[in-house]
Amino acid sequence: MLSKIFKVFSRELKTARRDSMAILIIVMPVLFAFGITLFTPGLNDTTVNIALLESDDKSHIEYLEQFAKVEIFENREDVLTRVNKRDDMAAIMQKGDGYEIILQGNEPEIVEGYAKALNALYEIGANKEETTAAMYSFGHTVSPLKTMLVNMLISMTIMLSGMLIAISIVGEKADNTINAINVTPVSQTSFVIGKSMMGGLIAMVSIIISLFITGYYDINWFMIILVGLTSLILSLVVGFVQGLASDDVIEAAANVKMIMIPIAGSIVGYELLADKWQWTMYWSPFYWAYKANKLVLTKTADWPTILLCTGMVLVLSLVVYFLAKPKIREGLS
Amino acid sequence: MISVKNLSHSYSHDDKLAVNNISFEIEKGETFGFLGPSGAGKSTTQGILTGLLKQQEGEVIVAGYNVKKVQNERFNKIGVSFEQSNVYSKLTAKENLDYYAKLFDVPTRDSMELLHLVGLDGKENDRAGEFSKGMKHRLTFARSMLNNPELWFLDEPTTGLDPAIAATIKDIIREQAAKGTTSFLTTHNMYIADELCDRVAFIIDGEIKLIDTPKNLKLQYGRKLIDIEYIENGKVVKETLKTVTEEDRRRIGEIVNNHDIQTMHSKEATLEEIFIQVTGRELV
Repeated sequence: MLSKIFKVFSRELKTARRDSMAILIIVMPVLFAFGITLFTPGLNDTTVNIALLESDDKSHIEYLEQFAKVEIFENREDVLTRVNKRDDMAAIMQKGDGYEIILQGNEPEIVEGYAKALNALYEIGANKEETTAAMYSFGHTVSPLKTMLVNMLISMTIMLSGMLIAISIVGEKADNTINAINVTPVSQTSFVIGKSMMGGLIAMVSIIISLFITGYYDINWFMIILVGLTSLILSLVVGFVQGLASDDVIEAAANVKMIMIPIAGSIVGYELLADKWQWTMYWSPFYWAYKANKLVLTKTADWPTILLCTGMVLVLSLVVYFLAKPKIREGLS
Repeated sequence: MISVKNLSHSYSHDDKLAVNNISFEIEKGETFGFLGPSGAGKSTTQGILTGLLKQQEGEVIVAGYNVKKVQNERFNKIGVSFEQSNVYSKLTAKENLDYYAKLFDVPTRDSMELLHLVGLDGKENDRAGEFSKGMKHRLTFARSMLNNPELWFLDEPTTGLDPAIAATIKDIIREQAAKGTTSFLTTHNMYIADELCDRVAFIIDGEIKLIDTPKNLKLQYGRKLIDIEYIENGKVVKETLKTVTEEDRRRIGEIVNNHDIQTMHSKEATLEEIFIQVTGRELV
């Protein structure tokens, strides 16, 4: 049975490689991952940029470098050119006995205030070691927005795996090949598993590549793979059902996209609903998957919670699978 | 090799029967023709025998397996050539055959040998999606031979093929029969059935009207005929008359004596004519 599953899987991969729609689906998550990597630094970078002159007092430069990203320029002209560029930059230069702060004018108030406060602290000789405040940290090293985008990317990739299955099934229907497989020693179960492996493996590889691209190297990979595999079940079931119900690739893709509604609803529910209303989303396996992925991505996950979440995903997905099973069996006969 | 007893099937699960209480047996090594017009119940019967349709009533044993039980390994002994071609359009001809060959648990034939056999050599690296309808049909036919089937289901094996290729396919079927392969040939083409089959069954409206050898049918139902074309009142008139009835023989004499004969041909009744005679229906 295993060898037959592998043969079906190999053929699926070969066919997918020759299908432009399937290629697009495979590449899309990776492109999104690059997009997130390119744009999130701009969205989340709260570092204040300060331009200083080379001739400035060395102690002044060293002090500011502790608290801001400092760029040094040879002359005043270069400083002014730099300030006038698109990003937020405050220039601090000596003027008489004191300093002047030069801004482009469209910076957030916080940039102006930060530059002023930082220079004032230098002038009075304040030292960060002198603070009386005790430090506590939640340990979040990644921006919440980036985590949310990457988590959404994982959900989208899971959905795309269903789309791959649907496209593959539509292809089988167009070629009439389901009948041909049914008169070989390959069981329907082997056929379904082989096909699912194609969608599942591509999705898992895409997720792993996307996580590397977006910089999540040091997460718990066992947890992310466990959550990914359990979340795939539902998407694959939907892929089979929609593929069997659709007559062409466009219809299949459109039908599978409907799954975006519960996915989006689950994400919005998790992110925006108050704690006391979170239970209203417990019906959705995507809610549990999103929650588990978020815990893993923020490195706050523990095994009992992950097992609870994946258990819920598994149970809810299996309920859908058993409801859809007669339809899948009938469609593949 | 095949035993069918009281088989009935209804798609709507009511008394509208696509196949109505049919029974027949096919011996090992026999080429059995299942003949009838479209909608007669041929494909339904073949669907049940190949396991593609769920058996509802009756008893069906195929290659020693009860088709009611799911036993995929039986397909190691069976080959099915479908009327509608069904090959992966994104795979090449060779990849198609190699893929299916790997799915069997028994030794399989070389894909290149089969492609050569059906006249597709030189096309092995072309994707099946680029093939003509006839080429796809030949590829489907070739695939059905991959596992050296003991029992071979052939659904309209020469439909849509040009005469030269059709002749090749018929030769292959004859060769397989000579090797002892049992064939179940479903067709509405009586000429092919006449050429290839040891026995034929006439099916119409889901019921088998008769089963016999083509030779016996011709002896039993065939009447020797003569087609005569002659001139009457300046026009060409054509008549087909039986040589075995007194009335027709007298009429032949009248025509020969009194008219200018244009053409005159003797002929045997065809299987198609016998089918029409037995069932009262044409093979459309």
